[in-house]
This record gives sequence, structure tokens and C-alpha cells, in this order.
Amino acid sequence: MKRRAFLGYAIAGTATSLLPLTTTEAAVRQGGQRYLRPPGAHEEAEFLDHCIRCGLCGETCPNRAIKFFGMENGVASLDTPYITPREQACILCMKCGDICPTGAIPKITRTAEEVMAKVDMGQARVDETLCLSYQGKTCGVCYRACPLPDIALRVGMLEQPHVSEACVGCGLCERSCIQIPQAIRIIPHHR
Amino acid sequence: MTPVDSKPFFFWRHLNKLRWLSLSMVFFMLVLIPFLHLYQTYIAAHAYDLLYPSEKIIYDSMETLSAPFVNDPENDLDLLKGTTWSGRLFGLDLSDPLALAGQIAASGKLLWPFVLTALIPIGLTMIFGRFFCGWICPANFLYELNTTFGFWLRNIGIHTGQRRMSRKFKYLVLFVTLLLSPLLGSVAVAAIYSPAIVGREIYYAIALGGFGVGAVFFTGTLLFDLLVARRGFCRYLCPGGALYSLLGRFRLLRIQRVVEDCNDCAKCNAVCEFGLDPLRDGFGMECNNCTACMAVCPTDALVFKVTAKDQPDRGPGHLSRQYRRVHNKSFEDSPGIEGGT
Repeated sequence: MKRRAFLGYAIAGTATSLLPLTTTEAAVRQGGQRYLRPPGAHEEAEFLDHCIRCGLCGETCPNRAIKFFGMENGVASLDTPYITPREQACILCMKCGDICPTGAIPKITRTAEEVMAKVDMGQARVDETLCLSYQGKTCGVCYRACPLPDIALRVGMLEQPHVSEACVGCGLCERSCIQIPQAIRIIPHHR
Repeated sequence: MTPVDSKPFFFWRHLNKLRWLSLSMVFFMLVLIPFLHLYQTYIAAHAYDLLYPSEKIIYDSMETLSAPFVNDPENDLDLLKGTTWSGRLFGLDLSDPLALAGQIAASGKLLWPFVLTALIPIGLTMIFGRFFCGWICPANFLYELNTTFGFWLRNIGIHTGQRRMSRKFKYLVLFVTLLLSPLLGSVAVAAIYSPAIVGREIYYAIALGGFGVGAVFFTGTLLFDLLVARRGFCRYLCPGGALYSLLGRFRLLRIQRVVEDCNDCAKCNAVCEFGLDPLRDGFGMECNNCTACMAVCPTDALVFKVTAKDQPDRGPGHLSRQYRRVHNKSFEDSPGIEGGT
């Protein structure tokens, strides 16, 4: 193949492969990875055009829950913060919103009311076929990990978890679940 | 006029050393802050005994470093966060003007708390011009070392790139990136702006266990500087440099050549990292007041002036051979010139 033709194909190929990644919709659609944005973050499109990729949220997170995307979630998401709750969940300390210079993560006071009203990272969902408590082996670890016990997460007689609408999606239940794979996981909202 | 009248303040020759001190301090801080963050997370975890030996070393050394300054390291160290792109310096939030420009371009909104953080840098840039590039930029620190490395390579006979391009190209880069931002729906400049990348990647490497995508881009610019054009990224491509040049167009502090003291040795042109032309009074809006030319000038013919305009080309320096041939007569009359050649 002629060099010029090869270069042409190479550029065209790269361009077409990058094309679907460049739109915000592609980023919102979220491909393979299930991730949460830091607590209180705006909905995805607004978050992406507010975030200046300074990394301050990650640098201030005392739980080291916030990590940063490479290219895996599209070019628009490059270097933006995310949380994988199974690896390290959010402890709702609200420090990231405090330091975020652009308000991509808004400032939220650390009170139960404020957090419940303004944080909506996702909602926990229980897989009853995996959950030990639903199999008659009382476990209740997720209930004990929940920062909003009896509000976001209630348990039945055998400690079977029931998630309510008040769940803010911090992921501490998913992080603490002793089953592999986890029987409770956060379904992200990305609002 | 005799050269003696316009001798500059002696310290100006040493400003370049001060600049290197400033650059290394900024770089040191960029390395230190992620370690301090790790230290804070270890404190927050209340589990010193469970740390790995390597983590204990970080904990102990950061405790030693910070103990004299803070009572409650877990919270007090929050006063020192971030990078040159956006950060908190002893409680003062500062952001890069380019971050503001990119963010406004992407979202079409002015977020006032964020605008306020960029005001001090913008003001300083309007007074001192593109000083960020020479005095603070962590990428500049590495690029200048890269230039030195290029000199070594040339000394042992390896060819390095010396191409010249149009310095206007970086303005095109700036405007195209800003125009693309709303289409991409993201602050696109953050991905191609070296100082933001360097700060971010140092943090990734220290706190998150490895370099990210930006490291590839930055390595590319280092190679570009080495193989294609000396300081090519800063001179021809950097969107930040373009924005600061525009902001500092009417800067008040300028380096000027004292034509009476100049001997046309052209060392200033050789040392200028931004490819400017101090020898012919060609500073323009892209001079970053880095003072490298002042430090190298053998006759102290470059001085700081408080003025909003460059002087026009004042011709050959009065200590040069060319000038002396033409004005030979006046030369013999004036005393104290013989040493100038």
C-alpha cells in the first residue's frame, strides 16, 4: 500500500472510531462500566461542561473513593471523577463539593436532610437470589453499613434488606456486601 | 550618553536564578500535595497499624513535615490542595484563566464563584504579561530541562530539531479548542494544556498508582520539542500561552534593550526559550519576563521598564563592531568603551 493511502486510511479510521465517543450522549449512555459521579454532581451533560478536570475532588476525598476516567468512557469524560462503589464507596463527607471550584459538584452541608434532598448518585438494588438473608442465613451487613439505616434501607425479620426511595446511592452497602458477586448494588442515576 | 548612566539594578541579573527557584518550588509542591493527601487519608482511616511499610514511610515523613504547621492535619491540610490548573493555596482558591475560558466556552455560563478564583491570575497577567509560563508553569520546568537535555545531545553529536514555525499557530489552537468545547460538551482545553496535564499526572502517579492518558500526550510534546522544534509546544501550540499573550498584550512590566549598552552578541536571542528577538527589540506580547536574556547579557543591556509599549527597533547596539565602524569618530571620543568589545 502506498504510504499516502495508508496514512489516509489510518486518519479516517481513527476519526470514525473516535466519532461516537465525542458526543455527550455517548458518555451519558455509559458503556460497560457502572460508575457513580461524586455526591451531588449535576446531571451528566451539565457536569461534563462544568468540570474543568482539576482533580481537586479526588485530592480531597478522605476515603480515596474518587478516581478518574481515562478514555474508557469517551473523550468527553476524560479525566472526570467517578466512584466505583464496590471498590471504595462514598462516605458522604461532602468535602468534594466543598472544594470543587466550578460547582460541578455543588456545595452541600453535611446534614442528613441536606444530603437526602440533594444527593442522588443512584439507588441500591437487592438481588434476592444472591442475598444471604433472603436464603434464610441472617446477614444484615448492608443494613449496618448504611449511613441512613431505617430511612434508606429497612430490614425484615431475617434481616432481608428493603431499599426505599430515600436511598442516595453512596454504595456503602455494596462495598460491605460479603457475597461475591455482591447481592446489593447501586444502579446509577446520572440524573 | 555613556553606558554607565543606565546600569541596571544589580539584582536583575540574578532574577533568573530566582525564577528557577520558583519553578522548582511549584514542582516540589505538586509532588508534595498528593503525598499530603495520602497522609490525610491514612489519618482518616484511623488504621496506622494496618498500613503497608511503604505507606508507613509516607505517613511518618508527611507527619514530620507538616507537624510544625498544623494541629489537625486531617482537616487543616485541606488549605493546600490542587495544581496550577486550579487549587487552594493556603486557603486562597486560585484558577488558571484558561480553565475559566474553557469552562465558559463549554457551558456558556458564568459561574461567579469560579470567575472570582481566576481574577487574581488575570490581573497579574495583565500587569506582568505571560509570567505564568516562565515563573510558575510546571510543564515549562520540564520543557526547559528538556531543552538542556537537547543541548547535551547536540554536544555529543545527536541532531535535535530546530524547525521554526509560525508563533501565531497557537492562537488558532486556542480558538479552535474553545469553539470545539461546546460541541464536545466538555472543557476540551484541559486535555491538551501541558501544565494542567503535568499537575494531574503527578497526582495520578502518586495517589492513584499510575499515569493516565495525559502522560502520553505530554511525552509526545517532549519528543516534539526535542525532535522537531525547540520549545515547539510552548512557542507554537500551547493554548494557555496564547491566552496569556493576549491578556498580557498591554502589560506594564517589560524587558527592554538599552541600545547604548548592547554589543550585538546575540546571546539573548540564543537563550530565549520562546524564540523572540531581544537583539532587535522584538519582545512583543509573547515575552514572559523570564529574565533569561538579562542573566546571559554580558553588558547588562537588558533592563526592566514600567511601560505599556515596546520600543521600536533601535538598530545595532552602540558597543557593536558594526556601530563602531559607522560612528568611529564619536567612539574614540567617549571614554570607558574599550572593554566593551
